[in-house]
Amino acid sequence: MRLNRRAVLGSLAAGAAVLGAPMVMGQAAPRVVVVGGGAGGATAARYIARESSGAVNVTLIEPTRRYYTCFFSNLYIGGLRDMESLGHDYGTLASEYGINVVHDWAVGVDRDARTVALAGGGSVPYDKLVLSPGIDFKEGAVPGWDLSAQNAMPHAYKGGSQTELLRAQVLAMREGGTYAMVAPPNPYRCPPGPYERISMVAHVLSEVNPTAKILIVDPKDGYSKQALFEEGWQKHYGGMIERIGPDFGAQNTSVDPAAMTIDIDGAVESVDVCNVIPAQRAGKIAHDAGITDGDWAPVNPADMSSRADPDIYVLGDAAQQGDMPKSGYSANSQAKVCANAVLGALTDSRVFPARYSNTCWSLIAPEDGVKVGATYEPTEEKIASTESFISQTGEEPEVRAATYQESIGWYAAITADMFG
Amino acid sequence: MIRRGLAALAAAVLPAAAAPDHELVHNEIADILALPADTAYGAWLASECTSCHGVGTEGGIPQIHGLPAGYIVGALVDYRLGARQHEVMQTIATRLGEEEIAALAAYFSEAD
Repeated sequence: MRLNRRAVLGSLAAGAAVLGAPMVMGQAAPRVVVVGGGAGGATAARYIARESSGAVNVTLIEPTRRYYTCFFSNLYIGGLRDMESLGHDYGTLASEYGINVVHDWAVGVDRDARTVALAGGGSVPYDKLVLSPGIDFKEGAVPGWDLSAQNAMPHAYKGGSQTELLRAQVLAMREGGTYAMVAPPNPYRCPPGPYERISMVAHVLSEVNPTAKILIVDPKDGYSKQALFEEGWQKHYGGMIERIGPDFGAQNTSVDPAAMTIDIDGAVESVDVCNVIPAQRAGKIAHDAGITDGDWAPVNPADMSSRADPDIYVLGDAAQQGDMPKSGYSANSQAKVCANAVLGALTDSRVFPARYSNTCWSLIAPEDGVKVGATYEPTEEKIASTESFISQTGEEPEVRAATYQESIGWYAAITADMFG
Repeated sequence: MIRRGLAALAAAVLPAAAAPDHELVHNEIADILALPADTAYGAWLASECTSCHGVGTEGGIPQIHGLPAGYIVGALVDYRLGARQHEVMQTIATRLGEEEIAALAAYFSEAD
């Protein structure tokens, strides 16, 4: 057995939990490595550690010591949550669940040796590997924009400092200025997210800068919850929001971060804030592991295992699985199916049939919440939607307020489900 | 057999959802509570619930850990029949059979 210093330390840290646990298949404890500590990875690590009662050695590799959720970050932009309420650390996963939390970047996967290389040096061996790396942006997706331009034109599509930067820019906008969003093409993380963000920016501007304008440059014909957002924008924000779609050339958009201009099919607009959300693909480690097909990593619908390698599982935004939206809720749901399958493969625990679900809440204005959701089941071909629902236009304010309150309860529950 | 019974019940009750037949509903709840409950299966099924139902009471989603089994069975049967309305819960409950409801009720009634 190969052990490096980190793995030894991890084993010692988990030692108290391992003592007294049943010996598994007469061997040393099997090793699971989870890459990415978000809704998919943190949930998978916690469920595998908890359900195995220490019989499986779990290592979680996550570069940030404090994780800021992308979900609910729009509420921070809208001034309805403070940033600290979106931050979570990994102390409970280490202390109560015996998970070996390694704050480092996973930079490579050797699938033959079954090891994960770390940016800080060394490698971690695994019997089963769970990759939940989220998204990266596709280079050249919006001509003129790259990561070196993200201070002038933030994406704010990964939680934390980018979110804080975008809110600061909205608050600092000149009177009557223009906030522009370059929206992403499908598929992307959190389908209603860009439009909830527009709602929250409009909420802030209507209070502090009511003559400001909002411009959405959108390469898509339509988008999630469109009728609900359009009704709400008309109701709450009058004529503040304008959307340019592909019928006016929005798919031919480039930006100039130095000049703060957007070129939409040849028409150049000067803007004051420019939120560029580029086209997306699976996080880099999934590509480095050689398990992607195009932009995403195809998985088996029954257990979230990679179609390219039975010892690797892919969760959340990075996975190509079928009908589930790329959401934190979906990743959390997929993680439980994955954890059950991993435990079944490594121990003698029972494996249950996969069942998936998702709900996405969005806030249009304070106390005006809407939702869309579905249940899913695996087929041979994909994870397929079985039943679905969506909020209706024209709902009473009490219904919308109750929906918003639900979303607050969900945030508390899912973050506890992830981080313990 | 119970599944067929519930389908017939749904057909009888749904056209007049405002006035469900309480005796039929009560019999259905009693039938489910009499099933042998697989608590390990319940723990697996419950992982779908804990995405929203935490052990605290923050926000507008009720805590369900520790509720009596009869209450949980009654709520899920009512959601399945449409006698109690909530989009998320009706979608979730629709795909729960009697065995699943019994397992969930056993798990949550014993959960801290």
